[in-house]
Amino acid sequence: ILATLLGLPRMCAPPSMVNTEQRQHAEHIFLSFRKSKSPFAVCKHILGKCPSNKIASKHFSIMFSLLSPPSLQKYVREQILLAVAVIVKRGSLDKSINCKGIFHEVSQLISSGNPTVQTLACSILTALISEFSSSSKTSNIGLNMEFHGSCKRIFQEDNLRQIFVLTMEVLQEFSRRENLNAQMSSVFQRYLALANQSTQNVMLKPTETWREALLDTRVMDLFFTVHIKIREDSDMAQDSLQCLAQLASMHGPIFPDESAQVSYLAHLVEGLLSMINGIEIEDSEAVGISNIISNLISTFPRVILTALPSELFTSFINCLTLLTCSFGRSAALEEVLDKDDMVYMEAYDKLLESWLTLVQDDEHFPRGCFVQPAVQVFNSYIQCHLAAPDGTRNLTVNGVASHEEDEINELQEDDRELFSDQLASIGMLGRIAANHCIPLLTSLLEERVTRLHGQLQRTQQHLMNSSNPGSVDRKVLDDLYEDIHWLILVSGYLLADDPQGETPLIPAEVMEYSINHSTEVDINTTLQILGSPGEKASSIPGCNRTDSVIRLLSAVLRTSEVESRATRASLTELLSPQMGKDIVWFLKRWAKTYLLVDEKLYGQISIPLSTAFGADTEGAQWIVGYLLEKVINNLSVWSSEPELANDTVELLVCLVEKRERANIVVQCENWWNLAKQFASRSPPLDLLSSSVQRTLMKALVLGGFAHMDSDTKQQYWTEVLHPLQQRFLNLINQENFPQICQEESVKREIVATLEALCGIAEATQIDNVASLFSFLMDFLSSCIGLMEVYRNTPETINLIIEVFVEVAHKQICYLGESKSMKLYEVCLTLLQVYSKNNLGRKRADVAAEEDQYQDLLLIMELLTNLLSKEFIDFSDTDEVFRGQEQGSGAAGRSVSAADVVLFGVNIILPLMSQDLLKFPSLCNQYYKLITFICEIFPEKIPQLPEELFKSLMYSLELGMTSMSSEVSQLCLEALSPLAEQCAKTQEKDTPLFIATRHFLKLVFDMLVLQKHNTEITVAAGEALYTLVCLHQAEYQELVESLLATQRDAVIYQRLADAFNKLTASSTPPSMDRKQKVAFLKSLEEFVSNVGGLLCVK
Amino acid sequence: MRHRRPKCARPTHPGSGTKGVLIIYLGLQTPVCEWKDAASGSSLKTNIVGCNCVKTVYMPLIHRTMADTDLDFTTGESGASATIPMQCSALRKNGYVVLKGRPCKIVEMSTSKTGKHGHAKVNMVGIDIFTNKKYEDMCPSTHNMDVPHIKRNEFQLLNITDGFMSLMGDNGDVREDLRVPDSDLGKEIEQKFAASEDILVSVLSAMGEECAVAIKQMTGGK
Repeated sequence: ILATLLGLPRMCAPPSMVNTEQRQHAEHIFLSFRKSKSPFAVCKHILGKCPSNKIASKHFSIMFSLLSPPSLQKYVREQILLAVAVIVKRGSLDKSINCKGIFHEVSQLISSGNPTVQTLACSILTALISEFSSSSKTSNIGLNMEFHGSCKRIFQEDNLRQIFVLTMEVLQEFSRRENLNAQMSSVFQRYLALANQSTQNVMLKPTETWREALLDTRVMDLFFTVHIKIREDSDMAQDSLQCLAQLASMHGPIFPDESAQVSYLAHLVEGLLSMINGIEIEDSEAVGISNIISNLISTFPRVILTALPSELFTSFINCLTLLTCSFGRSAALEEVLDKDDMVYMEAYDKLLESWLTLVQDDEHFPRGCFVQPAVQVFNSYIQCHLAAPDGTRNLTVNGVASHEEDEINELQEDDRELFSDQLASIGMLGRIAANHCIPLLTSLLEERVTRLHGQLQRTQQHLMNSSNPGSVDRKVLDDLYEDIHWLILVSGYLLADDPQGETPLIPAEVMEYSINHSTEVDINTTLQILGSPGEKASSIPGCNRTDSVIRLLSAVLRTSEVESRATRASLTELLSPQMGKDIVWFLKRWAKTYLLVDEKLYGQISIPLSTAFGADTEGAQWIVGYLLEKVINNLSVWSSEPELANDTVELLVCLVEKRERANIVVQCENWWNLAKQFASRSPPLDLLSSSVQRTLMKALVLGGFAHMDSDTKQQYWTEVLHPLQQRFLNLINQENFPQICQEESVKREIVATLEALCGIAEATQIDNVASLFSFLMDFLSSCIGLMEVYRNTPETINLIIEVFVEVAHKQICYLGESKSMKLYEVCLTLLQVYSKNNLGRKRADVAAEEDQYQDLLLIMELLTNLLSKEFIDFSDTDEVFRGQEQGSGAAGRSVSAADVVLFGVNIILPLMSQDLLKFPSLCNQYYKLITFICEIFPEKIPQLPEELFKSLMYSLELGMTSMSSEVSQLCLEALSPLAEQCAKTQEKDTPLFIATRHFLKLVFDMLVLQKHNTEITVAAGEALYTLVCLHQAEYQELVESLLATQRDAVIYQRLADAFNKLTASSTPPSMDRKQKVAFLKSLEEFVSNVGGLLCVK
Repeated sequence: MRHRRPKCARPTHPGSGTKGVLIIYLGLQTPVCEWKDAASGSSLKTNIVGCNCVKTVYMPLIHRTMADTDLDFTTGESGASATIPMQCSALRKNGYVVLKGRPCKIVEMSTSKTGKHGHAKVNMVGIDIFTNKKYEDMCPSTHNMDVPHIKRNEFQLLNITDGFMSLMGDNGDVREDLRVPDSDLGKEIEQKFAASEDILVSVLSAMGEECAVAIKQMTGGK
């Protein structure tokens, strides 16, 4: 290999420098070298290390000709070219290589007309682009990042456009040819890919200098022509469509003015329309075309879009409409055929998203211009989701597809989540065309509910007459369920939004629609239809004069009623839990927006809506009662369907979490029945899963804070919370409790109580925390006793800790000093008992590790929750407890958060292992906790026992260097307070002082020498500054030893200057906020100035 | 004190295959064993001592004589049944369930359904709390599953003789019917015992089966 190494440059040398013999020898070596097994590696090595760049550069042409034989393997060739690109890059360092020369060579290769040579030229350009582009593709050649960066800039400014022009030439040439043979087309493909790459930014924002090259209409025409030529080849078609999508995203300074932008867009749209209209779209084109449209709509400002000639704009919208409908149908077909690659689905999603963008800016466009398109897209969506004869669901060319029922596991998202984007767009379009869509949904749903009712009745008859329950044909039912499923989902998305946290408003379009028709509406009939979900809507006289918005809700209520009646007729087996979920989901979404509609929030309000659902209306009261009945029915019938039960109980929470709604709820007798029933812990409610029971408890507690007179309130609590306490106390106060505690019935009672406590804690709000805290505190003390009794029963211990976690999580932020103190005390006792019972315990059963992991996680959560008080504190010197608090307060108490937390850390640290840190949740929680501790109680750190201290410091180092960037940031944040602590005590040679010295080096290296995430620069900078303050001498040493390694005088000087500047504003460094800020600013400059110099790639 | 053990699979042992009880009379230096066949009522003296495999009744000899023949065969189990039924949906992860006749801790629980409009089924993975074997089961979520009664008791280790532990409970009763488990934990128990360390042994029992599963160093006043 060494001989080859030496031989190659000789061969490449000019004729004057070597004689024939030498050259022949070199050629021989080269040939043998080409035959060798790993030539590319060697070649790369030679070229990369070639002592004379100049020689190499002058003879690219020779190199290229040598590389051109098609016999050479593709991979080999590309590796060699990559090496060439590296040479060019290195050459540009000392300007020894002029790229122009290369481009000259390349353009000659291109004009040669020989496809093989042209392929080579293409490969050269590809290699150059990839080497000069983003840093991730850059080869590792041992130069600093600053060099890479400047190369990229220069390349972008000077060479990229030239490559583009070259590419265009080739494309022109190819597009003129009539037919392309296979080889040519492969060349062609490479050029397309290249054109693609040269404009590889996601959104194209070229500078002014590109104006001439890119705004030329011929460029765009060329790409359209090219696409038509090659569209049958799916790979090439994707490339060419990608190019067009890039052109469709063009924006920025390249446009001299608006009119240029308008005419560019007009040309683009024209080209696009004539392309789409001229072809029958292939599967492989769908995504590409939708990308072009999506880019176009999201990039060009609305004024530019509306400035298009109106005919062109209309054609564009029409084309978009047709395309959306057609993609939607194809997407549905893909689903039926269960294709792996859902190209139409992707394209459909993109187009629907574009529609959403368009109609959200409705006001910019001519009024009503989207109504007809909206109707069409909406109709086609509905059609695709309904069964025949109304719809086309599961229809293929061969008729209805018989698809087998798949196993669906709980991890698979519900359609309402899975298709939430689609549904949101369709819902929005439905609002735009509310006149058409709301009545359509209503009539489709009403008709299906009637059919469902009939079908269930027939099935019941059939079951009564037949001894074989398995003989029921579910096909008809399942088809109806699926129809209703989609109709309810679309209705939900159309009628209401689901903003997280905020109060959702009735969509303006829906409100306007209801107002516009209110004059034709008979309110009494509307209310009658609403209030009689058991009857067929069409059987009510005057049913055509009802408010359509209310009518759509009543259609869903009718569905719900059919379901409830079927459960009462013991037909639960025949029902669809999915439909049950859809119904309560819809009702919750609806109730949040429409129930007790607040007129103050709207400029104008629809009379039918406010009459039916406004505050203090009979309608509102009736519907609350109805919903409550639904919830109770569901909870007793569907305890075996966890998701449905969960959605149901969420509906209940929605009803009571707002005071206004809760006020009505507690007036219902049903509510009291539910409360009593739950308190009695009897079937069917005790069959619910534990999470549902918790949420149910939460709802019951929330309801208790509704407005009631004091007697009623007293009575309510006696019904709800009192039994819980009584049963619990009766049980644990039994003399023989320690003996019977392992009995199954006792254990179940205890578990149920603990679950209920978690639910109660979850119900905490600022206005009920006072009473809930007192109530829960009594339990917490008893729970400590349980820790003793159940010390052998890990699952119970786990649940007990969870209760503490929940209480701390929900309540600590509201607690004043003395209350917090109480909580700290009881938490400390909990930890002490836990620790005592686990000290020296060794478990051999299979669940031991998992149990321990869960305990640890919970304890850390508990500690973090306790600490969070330092950050989030809503307490106002016990204001919420006013009247309860008597005197003394914190005086005389000795437990602080620090005591609890450090005690907890004593438990946790010895148990933490690197293996455990592999659990991401545990790892994050752990680092969150130790950072909190360092920030809040830095003074406690030096007091830790030596072993603990060491493992804490080791944890910090580990977290900084080898965990996620999030963890590393946390650890850096922990350093400043530690260093400040050291500075405060002024003691040298303490373990903490020594540890911080070590961290100085770590942070210094991290900031200066390693490529780091910019996100952590600030955290690292702050840490560095405080550490520098503490260890000024060591810092100087670090700087000097770094400078000493620099051989290049220029770089040395630059670095030295930069370091001087870095600390100039803060000499001598002191822990002063102003100086620190100044330092951070200098650091930013430092990093951008010389950061690239030291980071080598 | 009466305890049950599962049947032995070894064919040479009394009790394998046939119904009956192995009675071991405790209280002497060497326990005396007797096999009582349930079908024939015949009894058979044996010298197999607590082979840790046969359905066994332990009799304190102090209260009974070897001639005592009025042994009640049906009281091999004491008190309530070993399991209770529970609707699948109310089971919880980390809870217990009987899978394939074995008491298991539920380590994984998920639901699934057949078709979008199907009813929920519960899939469970459980680990046998005694053998660590993994079992899986799936059933409609409306069905009931058996939940084993699980007990955990702590005993102070007094003595080890012939591989059997003498354990004293909270109430002062002493039992000597549990073997030192054949595991690392068992070795540790023996070591600690040899080193005269005071330890507590946690005994897990369910469905008539028992095993020592944990130990804890005794601290001060405990």
